[in-house]
Amino acid sequence: MTRSLRLATILFMVVALAAGGCAKKKKTLDESSTDVTGAGGESGLAAGSSLDRFKHGLNPEEGGVLKDVHFAYDSYELDGTARDVLAANAEWLKDNSRAKTEIEGHCDERGTVEYNLALGARRAKAVKDYLVTLGISGDRLSTISYGEELPLCREQNEQCYARNRRVHFVPPQ
Amino acid sequence: MGGAFAAFAAFVSWASRAARRPRGARIGRVLAAKAVVSSSAVSLTAVSLSVVSLIAALAGDAAAQVRGTIVGPGSTSYPIAVSPLKGDERDGGRFADIVARDLDLAGLFKVIDRGAYIENAQSSGVTSDTINFDNWKTIGALALVKGTLERSGEGVVIEARLFDVVERKQIAGKRYRLEEGNVRRVAHRFADEIMLALTGERGPFDSRIAFASRREGRFKEIWAMSLDGGDLQQVTHERMITLSPNWSPDSRSFLFTSYRTGNPSLFSIDLGGGTPRLVSSQRGLNLGGRYSPAGKAIAVALESGGQTDIALIDPSGQFLHWVTRDRALDVSPSWSPDGRSLVFCSDRGGGPQIYTTSADGGPARRVSYQGNYNTSPAWSPKGDRIAYSARIGRRFQVFVVDVKGGDAKQITDTGGDNEDPTWSPDGRYLVFSSTREGRAALYMSDVSGAHQKRLTPSGGDDSTPSWSRWLE
Repeated sequence: MTRSLRLATILFMVVALAAGGCAKKKKTLDESSTDVTGAGGESGLAAGSSLDRFKHGLNPEEGGVLKDVHFAYDSYELDGTARDVLAANAEWLKDNSRAKTEIEGHCDERGTVEYNLALGARRAKAVKDYLVTLGISGDRLSTISYGEELPLCREQNEQCYARNRRVHFVPPQ
Repeated sequence: MGGAFAAFAAFVSWASRAARRPRGARIGRVLAAKAVVSSSAVSLTAVSLSVVSLIAALAGDAAAQVRGTIVGPGSTSYPIAVSPLKGDERDGGRFADIVARDLDLAGLFKVIDRGAYIENAQSSGVTSDTINFDNWKTIGALALVKGTLERSGEGVVIEARLFDVVERKQIAGKRYRLEEGNVRRVAHRFADEIMLALTGERGPFDSRIAFASRREGRFKEIWAMSLDGGDLQQVTHERMITLSPNWSPDSRSFLFTSYRTGNPSLFSIDLGGGTPRLVSSQRGLNLGGRYSPAGKAIAVALESGGQTDIALIDPSGQFLHWVTRDRALDVSPSWSPDGRSLVFCSDRGGGPQIYTTSADGGPARRVSYQGNYNTSPAWSPKGDRIAYSARIGRRFQVFVVDVKGGDAKQITDTGGDNEDPTWSPDGRYLVFSSTREGRAALYMSDVSGAHQKRLTPSGGDDSTPSWSRWLE
């Protein structure tokens, strides 16, 4: 038990560093004024995330072992279908109790860049909260928003918009 | 007559005092010490930061006066001729090209085609007593720009003059000393002088636009250019997602959000390029950082755990206080010109709407009442109006509303989405992104919606523009 706990702690720290850069407390901000050198800074990129794929010239993925959920326009509510998908994802996560994942919030291209980034964050958080209610430890789930920046498709039609309004799970390491 | 003499005497006295004033430092080449990606980046630095010294206002044979509203809102096509500068065909011609393009963008002028000009710019007079005004009257010009460009061992001196063709009098004149290659800056500054003389307000052309663009591949990077796009230049090389640039008050650097570390953090970069400085890297969004008018604080939307609120931080990234702190989604702050208030987008009322609040925080006042999706507000430098983007039907259009409330005026009415308006420093124009012709490009419009023109070459996917103050 102790060894697993230690291992889990190390895994958590690795994933946390990989997933979102320096972890900071939510309520206050540390002074942060350091030079960032080089064009890499890759320590913050979760391997296999949509951003990581993008950097390496790959399109974002749709689904995976953990399935995407989709949203209505300008909404972060989980409908029945979404909850079913998340229930199945929760089952997988319970069966693979060491797996961590990053939850990505995405939007379609309508609406402005900044608002969509905030909306994507809401979507990712809504999914995380629901998984927690299903019994998955929040320590295993990090969130990030990409707004409209990493779409699956770029056509200007309803079908493409619906595909892009999604939460995607980074393949668990 | 006595008044004119007194004014003339005042100009001569001012001019001689100005000539004795110590010159500003030549900053241009200093930024070459930082990592520079390409030689064109260096020349952009030199253009933007080396001092274009206004040496003197030029007295004509009558006291120069500001004419006020010869050309006012609603007037179009005031015919003006812009003659190449005498003394250098190539750069004198470039000067005239740039002034002509700026006046064309202003939407108030009809610049008479150079092919119609009767005289040879390199051999004809440039002052009111040596110009043959009939040559210009014949082709329909009411105003005329002429001048000289002189090169010496000490650099380049440009004298530019604006004349009233009918009254055969000089209206404005300026002498500039500049570094080699800086003709663009002088041309933009003089275009602004022309607008001051003929409209009563200084024009916006000696300024820059920064924006995110995908024009060089799949990565969105931040680019910068003058209004006419003639010095379009890539500034960031993040090779990641970059967003929402916003100029510093001195127009020498801008804030932007980048995913270079994996987290959307706020950075600052100098216009000359080089290594970005990390400003705010709270885990989660650090988005839409905007300097206060005095540059002492940055308003920014910070997200953690899905919750986005607006905070003030200082320029080094130190947290100061929250401006909003609620369960609503609050994003996209923009400062009032007096630095006391912020306008922002919030869904506290159900869907995204525009609100103003004190920069200290406190109750917010709703500003947008039409439609159910209003975002990306920008406060006019004149303080009286707010521009924003509103969903109308299936499209986004730019609107302008009085700060005190009331009817919002629709500025765009096109196919495609018109988003993220930014104001000119003189508060008379807007630049925004639009997909009306396909992939997003930047467009300019006056505040009434007239004279809309595309600024960036198509195919760029250009977004989130920021219009700097005047370059000084």
